[in-house]
Amino acid sequence: MPRLMTASTKLLLLAVALFSLPAFGHTIEGGDASFVEAIDGPAIGPFIYLGAKHMVTGYDHLLFLLGVIFFLYRPKHVVQYVTLFAVGHSITLLLGVLANLQVNAYFIDAIIGLSIVYKAFENIDGFKRVFGFEPNTKVAVFVFGLFHGLGLATKLQEFDLSENGLVINIISFNIGVEIGQILALSAVFLILSVWRTSSSYLRHSFVTNTALMTGGFLLAGFQFSAYLFQPPF
Amino acid sequence: MAEIDSNSPPSSKNILVASGISLVVALIVLFSFILPAEFGKDPLGTGELFGLNVLGLEENPFEEQLIVHKTDSVEFILGPFESVEYKYLLDMDASMLFSWVADGELYYDMHAEPAGLGEEYAESFEQGNGDSRMGSFHAPFTGIHGWFWENRGSSTITLQLYSSGFYVNSTVFRDGGSYERELGAVTD
Repeated sequence: MPRLMTASTKLLLLAVALFSLPAFGHTIEGGDASFVEAIDGPAIGPFIYLGAKHMVTGYDHLLFLLGVIFFLYRPKHVVQYVTLFAVGHSITLLLGVLANLQVNAYFIDAIIGLSIVYKAFENIDGFKRVFGFEPNTKVAVFVFGLFHGLGLATKLQEFDLSENGLVINIISFNIGVEIGQILALSAVFLILSVWRTSSSYLRHSFVTNTALMTGGFLLAGFQFSAYLFQPPF
Repeated sequence: MAEIDSNSPPSSKNILVASGISLVVALIVLFSFILPAEFGKDPLGTGELFGLNVLGLEENPFEEQLIVHKTDSVEFILGPFESVEYKYLLDMDASMLFSWVADGELYYDMHAEPAGLGEEYAESFEQGNGDSRMGSFHAPFTGIHGWFWENRGSSTITLQLYSSGFYVNSTVFRDGGSYERELGAVTD
């Protein structure tokens, strides 16, 4: 039974990594997009919702967080790392939009893909065993948080956001992102906790993280291709 | 790749091999499937092989029409609480440009009815109050497409509509009746 479970979990991971390709370009779309453009003035509720939705449906952020908490067994440590990540992306989300930093969205999304590769490589002890040293994991999560925040900022900047109520709206979006993150993380942590009760967790952690790394490479490759072949927004 | 013995940590060789495989798998998927399907590039010919190239085609901004387009200008005078409905017969994917201006505020409802299905399948695109609207319209289905205007004020209002498009003719619905208007091609 445990064997079966890990097999299916691995399949699920692979499915997430490989078969969600058509939805790769993760942006705010359709009705949400026209709503964001039409807004003039503070709209706390809608922006919180959009932030949360962006996070819950954003597998690039989710895969990275999966990598981050993969070897964190205690809720206290999860909170520590996720707080570092949240502080990092909050800084660049707010600064990016307010200072109108113009960064290519595809380029940032490619780096976000590589952050997944980095975390997976760290999880299979790559730095320790191949390079003989391990970069500070907390600093790494914080720095990648900064990049993820820039990614969030580019998504909001694709729109002509009204100056009216801009700060409140960005902060609302940010709060939404944190709420969405807590929701998604709780689900991931629960699933991991169940899987951890089986001995196969450690046995398959190497393969799982390699699959995670593949997902990261794919995301990065997709975004680099978009950077090369598609005009910027 | 081989199952790792749970008692011994992965060797640096294992890690490098796994990372290499990971990168190669990602590159294979990228070049064989994602590039053809998403970006219209087919470096390995796999897009052709799996029929993925159709997904990567960019939408062509040009859309061919088979008839010469027509142009129309029409004026309605609406007394207090009078209303009129004016619709163009458009095939699916036919476009038109329009501007209407009035010398007072009117309630308007831009909507369409699919051909042969009648009012209960009517779809509304925009409603509001104003004295002018300008825009372009791309017919989502074959049918009659146009406006309902109502003067909800107490003074008489003159409304003028100008449009050009690939419509066939137009129909005026007013005072419980309706009549068609023949419209000339721009080349006539």
